[in-house]
Amino acid sequence: MMNNVLLVAKREIRQILAMKSFWLTLLILPVALALGPIFTSTLDDDEPSRVVMVDRSGGDVAAAIKARFMADDDRATLRRLSRYVQRYDLEEADPQAVWTQHDRWYTDADIATFRASGGVDSALEKIAAVKPDGVPEFEDDNPRYTFMPATSQLQGLQGEEFGQAAQALFDSDADDAPEMVVLIGENYPENPEIGLFSANQPNPVFVSGLQETLTGDLRTRLLASRGITGAEAAAIQSAVPAIAVSTPPPGGGAREALLVRSIVPLALAYILMMSLMLTGSWMLQGSVEERSNKLLESLLACIRPEELMYGKLLGGLAVGLLMILVWGGCAGIAAYATQGVISDLIRPALEPVSSPGIILAILYFFIAGYILISAMFVAIGAMVDSMSEAQGYLMPVILGLLLPITFLIQAILAGKDSMLIDLLTWIPLWTPFAVLARLGLGIETWVMIAAGALLAVAILVEMIFIGRLFRASLLTTGQKPTLKRVLERFRAQPQ
Amino acid sequence: MSVLQVSNLVKRFDNVLAVDDLSFSVSQGEIFGFLGGNGAGKTTTLRMVLDIIRPTSGSITVLGGAPDRRQANAIGFLPEERGLYSGMSAIDTIIYFGRLKGMSPGDARRRGMALLERFDLAGRAKSDIGDMSKGMAQKVQLATALVNDPQLLMLDEPFSGLDPVNQGLLEAEILSASQRGAAVIFSTHVMQHAERLCDRLLLLRKGRKRFEGTLEEARGQLPASLVAVSSSDLSDIAGVHSASAIGEASDGWQEYRVQLAPGIAPESILEHCSTSGIALRRWDERRASLHDIFVHMVGEEGSNNDE
Repeated sequence: MMNNVLLVAKREIRQILAMKSFWLTLLILPVALALGPIFTSTLDDDEPSRVVMVDRSGGDVAAAIKARFMADDDRATLRRLSRYVQRYDLEEADPQAVWTQHDRWYTDADIATFRASGGVDSALEKIAAVKPDGVPEFEDDNPRYTFMPATSQLQGLQGEEFGQAAQALFDSDADDAPEMVVLIGENYPENPEIGLFSANQPNPVFVSGLQETLTGDLRTRLLASRGITGAEAAAIQSAVPAIAVSTPPPGGGAREALLVRSIVPLALAYILMMSLMLTGSWMLQGSVEERSNKLLESLLACIRPEELMYGKLLGGLAVGLLMILVWGGCAGIAAYATQGVISDLIRPALEPVSSPGIILAILYFFIAGYILISAMFVAIGAMVDSMSEAQGYLMPVILGLLLPITFLIQAILAGKDSMLIDLLTWIPLWTPFAVLARLGLGIETWVMIAAGALLAVAILVEMIFIGRLFRASLLTTGQKPTLKRVLERFRAQPQ
Repeated sequence: MSVLQVSNLVKRFDNVLAVDDLSFSVSQGEIFGFLGGNGAGKTTTLRMVLDIIRPTSGSITVLGGAPDRRQANAIGFLPEERGLYSGMSAIDTIIYFGRLKGMSPGDARRRGMALLERFDLAGRAKSDIGDMSKGMAQKVQLATALVNDPQLLMLDEPFSGLDPVNQGLLEAEILSASQRGAAVIFSTHVMQHAERLCDRLLLLRKGRKRFEGTLEEARGQLPASLVAVSSSDLSDIAGVHSASAIGEASDGWQEYRVQLAPGIAPESILEHCSTSGIALRRWDERRASLHDIFVHMVGEEGSNNDE
């Protein structure tokens, strides 16, 4: 019997491997994963927004605005540098530096200190001296805004003509065409109206920064007019609370850690689902071909229906495992090639799936899930005469299977103990997905063993009923598989 | 030696009696014709012999045992509805079926190539079935049935869809299998093939056996007829059912169409004429064809029913 099962499985594997769709699907995931970051970095618009400032009030206001946005950029750089140092334990580079102090929201004074000590370049030199091998380089983001000088033509225009000229600049094809123009009138601050011309909807962060800077400036002037000296007014304006920040180190926060730990388990559940859908549809195609090409009778003269069914399941399982092996290999190569960030991320991500017991459990639930669900595809293939007829039965099965898995993944990402997760763990159809996905959250051993045992019983029962359905359906061409007929075939004994 | 023995076989599908108390046997080297109209139960019987379906009652002995897939190694089967994997090459298809019948890959390949050579398809051994004509694909399927040199070869409507050249090739394969000692059973609607090939025949009607025996024995089931020219009236002879004159008599000689009573051999009437001094100028016996026998025994039975 086993020999025939292996022969059928081998033929199934060869048939699927001969399909172009198999190779396309096999390669599409690694290619997508490889191209994804490239596309993302291409699509990410990290170019600074170009801003033209026209300050007819003397130039101090424009300078204050520029200083404000530069300070914001430096604060962001300081924060990123601090997280980098914290993640890779690099505090020894300069224990007194502001960027090794991770417990605060950086104030203007911190930024001034950072600049005074040489800024990011000086910090990176110190870090380089202590940075171990394998720690990736620090990558800073571009500043958010770049300020360009106004053309002389724009400087001389007033009213509507100024607006039209600004619009013309926005519409020009030049690479350095500005995206915003800010006009500060000659009567500022008596007339505090500021003109903001923008190529698109203005960025709220920019508007908010602009407003805060100008508000501070106006209030300082107002305080001075009430007899308070400029220095005192400035001190009042710059009075800010020192916000102490307590945050877990990168990857160490409860939710962040949970997400990292759940990456591999969720990927396993997702890959199981993906490869099942793909190999299931190929197996279905093979079954439909056997029926529509009328070669079942020739086969059944040589082998038992059960051997045919088991061979198909084994063939599908082998193809599915092959796909996963290739995808896993690609992921391994990517991790090895990139080392640094990815390997640093993968280490904690692999932690929940690295013990021998868990690896065995993964293999068991993976294979059991494959058999459980592939058998349904094979049964559908045995009942229908064409792929279009098969689609009609396949859609409800796929939807019924996938929707709860989608909710399951969302519940796991939310990191909450959910009744849905518990429920799906105990329903054999979703047990493999639920158990695999829960490995990151943590699943009790007894739950895993009991759910696995229940799954094994469900597969045995399924094999009995689907075996009957398969056997009874094989030679019945031209009969619509109505619910009544399907139920009859579930009960059918060998005729 | 009996290769296949069927005894009191009954198969019922719900309320339909497909095979009704059928018994027959087929010996080594014998070519056995399985004749009957559509829905007579031929395919159902063959499926029971192959253990694809199980009988309601009765027994089947194939190659000395009950039907079982383990006997597939010694059985060749060509179903009525034919088809192969379109993406598989001719030789791989034959090897696959050979392997399913327990052959080693090497033996299956050698035998498969020999068969393709014989069927003038050696040059297309590596062609996909989907790229072949229907006739070529049918020959490949015949090769899948013959690859294991079966002791029992069962062919269900093997001539349907074949052109005259390939029908001749198939006839030669059937005779060759029989000559090497295989029992061959084939069902057919084409009586000429059965007449030419079969050692014995079985006629089925609505699942029930109407006749089993040789062609001569089958002919004996129909009243004989003949055309004779005589100077005497032939209708008075004992054993003659009717003798009707054809045309006008000429110089006292009359042509008769003579229908004999059932079971009466023409030779006995000829002998009677000779001994009784009845002058005869012409004596043409007309032998019943298998077609006549089939129509007589099976008649106009449900020709559109499924089996």
